[in-house]
Amino acid sequence: MNKNKEQLLNKRYKAEQRFRLYGLSAIFMALLFLTIFIFKIFSTGYSAFQKTWLIVPVTFDAELMMLDQNPSKEDLQDADYYDIALKSMADLDPNANEDQENELKRMVSYFFEKEIKNELLNDPNLIGKTKEVYLTASDDLDQVFKGNYPRDLPEDQRRVSDYQLKIFDQLVANGKVESKFNISFFTNADSREAELAGIASSFMGSIFSILVCLMIAFPVAVLAAIYLEEFAPKNRFTDFIEVNINNLAAVPSIVFGLLGLGVLLAIFQLPRSTPLVGGITLSLMTLPTIIIAARASLKAVPPSIREAALAMGASRMQTTMHHTVPLSMPGTLSGTIIGLAQALGETAPLILIGMVAFVNTIPGSPMDPAASLPVQIYIWAESAERGFVEKVSACIMVLLGFLIIMNLFAQIIRHKFEKKWS
Amino acid sequence: MIKIKAKDVDVFYGKKQALFNISLDIEENQVTALIGPSGCGKSTFLRCLNRMNDVIDICSVKGEILINDFNINDKSCDVVRLREKIGMVFQKPNPFPKTLYENVSYGPTIHGMAQSKQEMDEIVETSLKKAALWEEVKDRLHEPGTGLSGGQQQRLCIARAISVRPEVILMDEPCSALDPIATAQIEELIDELKKEHTIIIVTHSMAQAARVSQNTGFFHLGQLIEHGSTDKIFKNPDNKKTQDYITGRFG
Amino acid sequence: MSEAPHTVKSYEEELKNLNANIIKMGSACEDSLGKAIQAITTRDNNIAEAVIQEDEKIDKYETLIEQQVVNLIALRQPMAIDLRETVTALKMSSDLERIGDLAKNISKRTLLLNENLPKNLVDSLNRVSTNVQKQLKSILDAYLERSAPMAVNVWEGDEQIDDLTNLCMQEVIKYLKENEKNLEDGTHLLFVTKNIERIGDHTTNVAEQVYYLVKGEYLEGDRPKGTEPIVTGEK
Repeated sequence: MNKNKEQLLNKRYKAEQRFRLYGLSAIFMALLFLTIFIFKIFSTGYSAFQKTWLIVPVTFDAELMMLDQNPSKEDLQDADYYDIALKSMADLDPNANEDQENELKRMVSYFFEKEIKNELLNDPNLIGKTKEVYLTASDDLDQVFKGNYPRDLPEDQRRVSDYQLKIFDQLVANGKVESKFNISFFTNADSREAELAGIASSFMGSIFSILVCLMIAFPVAVLAAIYLEEFAPKNRFTDFIEVNINNLAAVPSIVFGLLGLGVLLAIFQLPRSTPLVGGITLSLMTLPTIIIAARASLKAVPPSIREAALAMGASRMQTTMHHTVPLSMPGTLSGTIIGLAQALGETAPLILIGMVAFVNTIPGSPMDPAASLPVQIYIWAESAERGFVEKVSACIMVLLGFLIIMNLFAQIIRHKFEKKWS
Repeated sequence: MIKIKAKDVDVFYGKKQALFNISLDIEENQVTALIGPSGCGKSTFLRCLNRMNDVIDICSVKGEILINDFNINDKSCDVVRLREKIGMVFQKPNPFPKTLYENVSYGPTIHGMAQSKQEMDEIVETSLKKAALWEEVKDRLHEPGTGLSGGQQQRLCIARAISVRPEVILMDEPCSALDPIATAQIEELIDELKKEHTIIIVTHSMAQAARVSQNTGFFHLGQLIEHGSTDKIFKNPDNKKTQDYITGRFG
Repeated sequence: MSEAPHTVKSYEEELKNLNANIIKMGSACEDSLGKAIQAITTRDNNIAEAVIQEDEKIDKYETLIEQQVVNLIALRQPMAIDLRETVTALKMSSDLERIGDLAKNISKRTLLLNENLPKNLVDSLNRVSTNVQKQLKSILDAYLERSAPMAVNVWEGDEQIDDLTNLCMQEVIKYLKENEKNLEDGTHLLFVTKNIERIGDHTTNVAEQVYYLVKGEYLEGDRPKGTEPIVTGEK
């Protein structure tokens, strides 16, 4: 009898230990995957924040630029920089033939002409003088410099020729290649050229979408939640609504995209590819999330507070607005932020309403065409150029950072404003 | 003088009847205790008096409850005005999660009882003094009310209730969550308050009912079994059920 | 007891125990009184000694009951019938203790009396004491049965005792006047008579308490009194 008990006790302890082990290993697995994922993203993505520059001496020859004496500002704007740009690249190898000169030109981005122009606009005194100018290296050379490009491939399988590599290596040896923080990744819109592509357009697109989404979803959801929780009679109709709100939360996001496409674009003729339409579509998706969060936090307000207010002679409206709603706000807000974070990561509905279009301008308002961060990731992941690989990871890092900040904000709100009641 | 007169009050929760034919007179400026086992309907009856049962959808009240000869179950009765006249203190101290000052000034604010900040300060001070809390909290009026001890919180709730100068104060087991010292303070307070207010208290503690009240009503299974002066009920009740309940022979 | 049992069984036990001790104390008093009367009428000093011994037992009962009552009040906070039960027990015990004391006093005086007492005096004493004994027995029965009418009967019966006491007193005074030698015995007999009458009074007190216990109210109105006692004869 006693021995049996002893055995049983041992068994129970062992079962508990096993259970702990399962739990620990589950957590370990999750952490492992997370670490691998983050390591992968960071290891491929961190280099996108660096940009390779070639330092090339440029002679601002007034004749080649077709400038008169004492040019005005407009003259400088309209001047022809192509020739001096071309010449300065060709000058890197005085013995180059025509083909090689072409290859030399392709060592920098097609933007090199503008970079030279900006240099002169900043300092018009440079006319007739020679100055070393920083030019953006082509994406392939950028990758070579970052060590991501396999040099041992046969030449016909590479986009960088042996000649380009030779010149590049000379430049490196002369210290004429420099790596600097990639500001343009944050300030440029999307581009076909990997070395120039940036996230400004999609970042702004995402922010505008989220703002539109917030401004629509939050008031509607909060009002709906307050009505359902505090005022609506409990009957079949409200039960029906409740069930459907829960169902709505489970609807796949692509369906909302179709809704946006069919209703907002086709019927209301709202402009395609804009954060306005994206935001409205996302708000439909976020609505049930916020309603559910808001109702849960309204429910969590102890009935004793409502009773206290009612017994003081507050009307139902006063009770709700003075006590219940303020107390539920932290929960509602953090629910809202989590809903918005979800919306921020949403891709499918945005693709359907056309926010997948190539946008190379930075939107100034929700009515301008824009992309969004997740869609940008999708677009770049589709691209063939090697230079976009690191951009995808970098964009993911920005998106993750954005989400982490939002969730952190939700946590802070919850902790700071959550009031304790006895 | 009779302050509240209940006549044949029936209360239903859905189809279930919770109170049967309650007729009870409540004397002005006295403490009336309602006792009885759990679920006997004493709290339900208490909540009829300020129509707190309205909040519950399925609850319906029949019969007349006359306060100052005015039937509060009448359609013409405005609940907000009624609750201004009839304050309530609950079982668990439930101060608003706001400052002490805001807690006490809430009632006067919504009922527009103060014209100026100064007047409001006065109301808050007198209410807290009457609730015997002023000395303990006068230096921290702008700290949250939830930071007080249980007994202080309950006195804060009493201060909040009397801030609108109600004629009647309903107390639903106000000491059940408090320790004996805090309980004694509340009981002393009840004794003071009855000079200006009519008090009805529901309590599980028969000793408390005996200590604080002048009249006692005994409820059982939704019926008012016996009602009379407290010393009569506790020394020599007329009804056998009452006697069995108060001597601990129930069930 | 006719009440339903308490939810707390030990409480019930304590109340029952208290009740039983009152009964026991009451019968001890009854016994002492009977023996004291027997000792004085049969002039048996052994019995008188026994009565004096027994008083100690009665005193112990009183202390015990007092402790039980204090415990009940402190620990159980009795209400209504239980409260009356407890309070009555306390008061009854003190009256019964007095009855015990008075019986003891009678016996002490018995030891000092002469062997031969006039027959008529002994008969008179016998008459009063039989009545008082009957009263004491009735009131203990009334307590046992929680009977208010029986208590009222006892209460009203005190009138007769007063009358008989007065008669007895007059006879003792007459005996005193007869001869100076009778002074000692007569004085003792006066006290014995008075003691018996006092026992009757305590019995009446108990009757009032039993009535309160049962009814929860006090026996109202003036108790019927017998003729005023004649303390001094004509000079």
